[in-house]
Amino acid sequence: MAQGNGRVPGVEARAGKFPGPSLVPSLHAIQREHGWLPREQLVKLARDTRRPLYEIEGLVSFYPHFRTGPKEGLEVAVCRDLSCRLSRGHAVIPEGAVVHEVSCVGRCDQAPVAVVEERYPEALRGSERRPNDPYAGAGEHYRVLREFTGDPVAILNDSGLKGMGGAGFPTGRKWDMVRGQDAGPKYVICNADEAEPGTFKDRQILAEQPHLVIEGMALAMRTIGAEQAWVFIRHEYEPEERILREEIERARAVGVLDGVSIDIFTSPGGYILGEETALIECMEGHRGEPRNKPPFPGGYGLHGLPTLMNNVETFASVPIILERGARWWCEQGVNGGAGLKFFSVSGHVERPGVFCVPGGTTVGDVIALAGGIRDGSALGAVQPGGASTNFLGPDCHELPLTFEAVAEAGSALGTGAMVVLADGTDLLAAATNVLNFFRNESCGKCVPCRVGSNKAHGILVDVLERGGGATDVDERIDELEETLRLTSICGLGQVALGPVMSVLRMQREPALEGPRS
Amino acid sequence: MALSVAPQTDAPAVTCTIDGVEVSVPNGTTIYTAAKQVGIDIPVLCHDERYDPVGVCRMCAVDVGGRVLAAACVRPCEEGMEVKTGGAQVEQQRKVLTELLMADQPDVDPKETTTGDNLLLTLARRYATGHGTQRTSSAGTGDRLPQGRGRGEDHSNPVISVNHDACILCDRCVRACDDVQGNDVIGRSGKGYATRIAFDLNDPMGESTCVTCGECVAACPTGALVNKPIRDVPIRPREELKSVESVCPYCGVGCAITFHVDEERGAIAFAEGRPQPGSQSRLCVKGRYGWDYAASSQRLTTPLIRVSYPKAALSGDVKGEGRGRKRPGGIVDYDEVMPHFREATWEEALDVAASRLKEIHDRDGSGAIAGFGSAKCSNEEAYLFQKLIRAGFGTNNVDHCTRLCHASSVAALLEGVGSGAVSTTYGDIVNADVAILAGTNTTANHPVASSFFKQARRRGTKLIVVDPRRERIADHADVFCQIKPGTDVAFYNGVLHEIIRLGLVDREFIRDRVTNYGELAKLVKEYPPERAAQICGVDADTIRLVARLWGEAGAGVIYWGMGISQHTTGTDNARCLIALCSITGHVGRPGTGLHPLRGQNNVQGASDAGLIPMMFPDYQRVDHPAAQEKFRAAWGRELDAQPGLTVTEIVGSALKGGVKGMYMMGENPFLSDPNVNKVRKALAALEFLVVQDIFLTETAEFADVVLPATSFLEKDGTYTNTDRRVQIGRKVLDAPGDARPDWEIICDIANRIGLPMEYSGVSEVFDEMVALSPAYAGLEYANLGPAGKLYPNADPEHSDGTVVLFGESFATDDGKAHLVPAEWLPAKELPDAEFPFILNTGRLLEHWHTGSMTRRSFALDAIQPSAMVFVGVQDAARMGIADGDFVRVTSRRGSIELAAKLSHRETPGSCFIPFHFREAAANLLTIDEIDPFGKIPEFKFCAVRLERAGGGQPVLPDSVQALQGAG
Repeated sequence: MAQGNGRVPGVEARAGKFPGPSLVPSLHAIQREHGWLPREQLVKLARDTRRPLYEIEGLVSFYPHFRTGPKEGLEVAVCRDLSCRLSRGHAVIPEGAVVHEVSCVGRCDQAPVAVVEERYPEALRGSERRPNDPYAGAGEHYRVLREFTGDPVAILNDSGLKGMGGAGFPTGRKWDMVRGQDAGPKYVICNADEAEPGTFKDRQILAEQPHLVIEGMALAMRTIGAEQAWVFIRHEYEPEERILREEIERARAVGVLDGVSIDIFTSPGGYILGEETALIECMEGHRGEPRNKPPFPGGYGLHGLPTLMNNVETFASVPIILERGARWWCEQGVNGGAGLKFFSVSGHVERPGVFCVPGGTTVGDVIALAGGIRDGSALGAVQPGGASTNFLGPDCHELPLTFEAVAEAGSALGTGAMVVLADGTDLLAAATNVLNFFRNESCGKCVPCRVGSNKAHGILVDVLERGGGATDVDERIDELEETLRLTSICGLGQVALGPVMSVLRMQREPALEGPRS
Repeated sequence: MALSVAPQTDAPAVTCTIDGVEVSVPNGTTIYTAAKQVGIDIPVLCHDERYDPVGVCRMCAVDVGGRVLAAACVRPCEEGMEVKTGGAQVEQQRKVLTELLMADQPDVDPKETTTGDNLLLTLARRYATGHGTQRTSSAGTGDRLPQGRGRGEDHSNPVISVNHDACILCDRCVRACDDVQGNDVIGRSGKGYATRIAFDLNDPMGESTCVTCGECVAACPTGALVNKPIRDVPIRPREELKSVESVCPYCGVGCAITFHVDEERGAIAFAEGRPQPGSQSRLCVKGRYGWDYAASSQRLTTPLIRVSYPKAALSGDVKGEGRGRKRPGGIVDYDEVMPHFREATWEEALDVAASRLKEIHDRDGSGAIAGFGSAKCSNEEAYLFQKLIRAGFGTNNVDHCTRLCHASSVAALLEGVGSGAVSTTYGDIVNADVAILAGTNTTANHPVASSFFKQARRRGTKLIVVDPRRERIADHADVFCQIKPGTDVAFYNGVLHEIIRLGLVDREFIRDRVTNYGELAKLVKEYPPERAAQICGVDADTIRLVARLWGEAGAGVIYWGMGISQHTTGTDNARCLIALCSITGHVGRPGTGLHPLRGQNNVQGASDAGLIPMMFPDYQRVDHPAAQEKFRAAWGRELDAQPGLTVTEIVGSALKGGVKGMYMMGENPFLSDPNVNKVRKALAALEFLVVQDIFLTETAEFADVVLPATSFLEKDGTYTNTDRRVQIGRKVLDAPGDARPDWEIICDIANRIGLPMEYSGVSEVFDEMVALSPAYAGLEYANLGPAGKLYPNADPEHSDGTVVLFGESFATDDGKAHLVPAEWLPAKELPDAEFPFILNTGRLLEHWHTGSMTRRSFALDAIQPSAMVFVGVQDAARMGIADGDFVRVTSRRGSIELAAKLSHRETPGSCFIPFHFREAAANLLTIDEIDPFGKIPEFKFCAVRLERAGGGQPVLPDSVQALQGAG
């Protein structure tokens, strides 16, 4: 266990974080046995482990997976987030079922989503090989891991590969930084906690290309000198977790994981855990509250040790880049873009799904891949990169989907989750729905995000309920947006009001509104 | 002190610019701290330098040129960083943050109506965001943000109110409870906007494991956690009250306290910890909330003279008739007792007291007089009291309750290292690699010291807890050794054996500074871990582990309590601990040493002042000719050269008609001494008894004259804590009625028996005592200062005093440690078929000794109102005893009835009864066998029977059943 807290500049107080093994597995075990967490079992756990009751309370009340009461009948979870709200369909709810709303479960291609008794549907797997997979068949898998002998960092740097989880940090630089840390235990974590509304491409990759994820991780481990790695996967991806476990077994069996260990850590739930330091806090057995940064995980990560964390897609992109080279990768792009990029497309499109396209493919082309806008409607707006990215108006049709071009247009490529809104959609309502997601998923650690997202949501709901629109939203939202953006600890709070502001900017000044086709 | 390691001074410096000012600070320094160094104050809510930063309120946001602002409280300075702590943009964010928090605040702020120092409201005024009814928005349109109230209140704790609306989730209370006090009760529950602070499993505070130390209240910047008024004395802003810097009247930790006094009402409004190198502003429930006993209507305010003769106990309880009666409050029934006394003037009462004692003395000789002083009184009072008995009555029959707590420890220490005082402080644990906590329920009995132990463990000190009960501190132990009761010597001999076998001894230290090592080694050779394990019940591997941890440590320290001393083998137990430190060289350096944790606030001082039968002040033996001469010269009287009788011996002597006249200052042996029935007879047998106290105690029922004394809070005096810190307790309140300070009463009696005592004040007494006590040399009343001083202290004007003793040599005649090997001996009264359980006695966190103070404190009585016997869950299950059921506990000496408290902390086959409750007095059961050296009674071990009250079969614990089965 790391000495950790208090000894590294910038590291926060332990405040409720206890040394010793995580209690989360014990809580899972109790819940498996009893179906929920009876109080006397929690008291006994505290006594047996000599850990404070409040630590257990903190975990149980933080993670949605844990329940403090027995089930009350057939339970149906209904998604309340944007893609499902945009869908026309109706979930058929069995009579007498206990229905509760949940945040996005990553099946936006099947919207509207209702999950019965936590039985999550499998991803719909296509039979075609995706262009990022260098292997013609299973017999070739792990060829790169076996044969590649060069320096991955140099190639990754040249390829310009960036993190595909939302932040877009250059992958080669990240690997290089962790590699450069002092010798000693280091960890690799694959962040498969994809949970932003509209985002489900990682699920598809996990289902279709688990070998590329494992291979990318193993290459990272070799590069930075780690012997232990985890895939941190959301518990709603239970079918994909199964596939991944089988793949890890297969990789072990063929001998490509000798001397290293890759395990799966199932998330006890919550979008915030996708934030890398919240994820680490969760793995350490704490409430998943993001840390103040610096220090960053690359230097001070899991248990205070250097930790390399990349997204599923990022790892899955590594084998082909190393095999075919940075130049080949760059050449895959179009319209000034580079490489390949997965998009999950949902909302008002005919055929929602996951598409692996050349970097720089335009918004219009991606929409076309998804069968075009539903019912032949015109484009109203697009959230190009997931719930945290700003809405773009209908004039974005020709916008090439590169990090740079999208940023220039005032949004971000984010997680590559494109939510398409047909003309005539109430964008302020849609943006308020997005804010509702962030408010619901705020961990509550810092004031601006915890209180600000709530107050802003209250103000907007009030406007909408009174039948108001963007021009009825006063400067309080602008002030709150600035405060959340500038003072929140992590990305969630920093961007929570961004989409709302993007709609307000579009709609408050009609002169600047894009032409309608 | 927060947990963070302060940036080391030799750390490389970084230079940055803060608001245009260049600052060079050690690497790792936060922007907040660096800014403070150059006089720039950054507003904060969640941050307090007492705690490690969390950076959650974001009020300290500063511009460091990044995409977003940085939290100055947690962000380290970087080379070349340019920080702007103010400016329109930064101030705007602070304003919005304040507004966000204000939106959910209650209309009436609980802090505003008490101490009035709500930090959030201060910021709200600064940013003009307004508040509730007086809300004045900058926009001028009233409430700018939707309000969200109704998160609830919690008034379940008797002295602390929780208002969740006022809570801003700054996590200060979490850190105070956890990182500072180590109580680990408060955390965050829920997520997002619904997050609240919670106690345990989101339980009401009053039903949680909260120990009401109040550290959270002291930490809270808003009205979320506030103190409730006690006895309806309103809590007001500090500046409206008189602040008196004093110390805590309870335990030997001697925490520094500021009492805030409402002068109009003549009452304490509230108390707070204040800075002092030892306690560092921390307090426990007794110190922070337990001071209102002084305001009890039952205070003695007039001298009383007995009218009912022949003498006997007066109340049904004390007569022994009321056995099992459950009177609420459980204190002496004044209505029953008072009619047997009449009020008297001081003149009359003092005349009677002095003349009767003198008459007995003149008639039956010095040996017929004895005095019990008190470890609750000041150094000056202890000094004068023993001077009165010694010089006035010519006898050394003077003792006090040290006999009942650490007499055996002191005996072993005097023999082994030449000084009964601690060799290092409780705070020195921070420098230790390993600490052994032996027989100490430290979280209950020395709560603030325990907070330092728990904190040290979090910084890396390994804690080894040795105790038959799994006390709360055991939850923090790296190694917990649950020994069978009364097997300490076997356990430690096993550890000593293994240390020697592994060669982990410090040969050089033994050669130069230790005698009799050979004998020790020879004896402990007979205690291989397997044999020790058989006796003590701790497995051999654990004994080996302890030996290795201790032997390999660079610095090891031992803290111990009554679990070591209150045995017939108490001195042997302590001898083992001395040997442990001596053979490994764990003495005389930072983080090493021997520390018997003192019980009473002034048990160290009272012993130092000579309130013990074999020594004059500063442990100068009465039978030592030079000491005789010294004190004869100083006091101008012939002195008794024979050591006097101890507490337990005086009781025995009274029964036999030896001691006939007694002066009892602030002691209540009726409840505190073993075998109450015997004490009752002894007290009744006395020809004349003067009791001087603040309440009518059980002992006072046997008094001929009762003298009303001032409480701790009503007088000045010095007190010496467990660390050897001499501190001034200052007068906080006026005395009620005609009550007078103990020291003045002693002087009046002395003057009446022909021993002149004229002092202008306590400082003059202190100076006289210091002049006769080499250890206190240099200390003066005037140089003790607000934080007191440790002795020895070569330069009290500039130095806090000596933390670590014995750096060069021990205080023995030859300067060496004298090892005394000890064979394990079983306790005197072992369980058998008739009395199958082992009874252990001790204290509860909330109560003090016989409860005369604490049971008259609103908070302490409300939290812990009644007697209980702690029974292991398995034993209870077999007996069909549920939590709260009434059970009868019977020993060969008596029987009591009280509620059962089911506990996971007991060793199977033993039970535990706190001795504070007269209605179920544990000492009716205890055995009056004593340790042959320290003369301390065996409070920790006797055989009892447990049965359900009102019938039912007594039940045997497993161990005895097994024995019988085998037999």
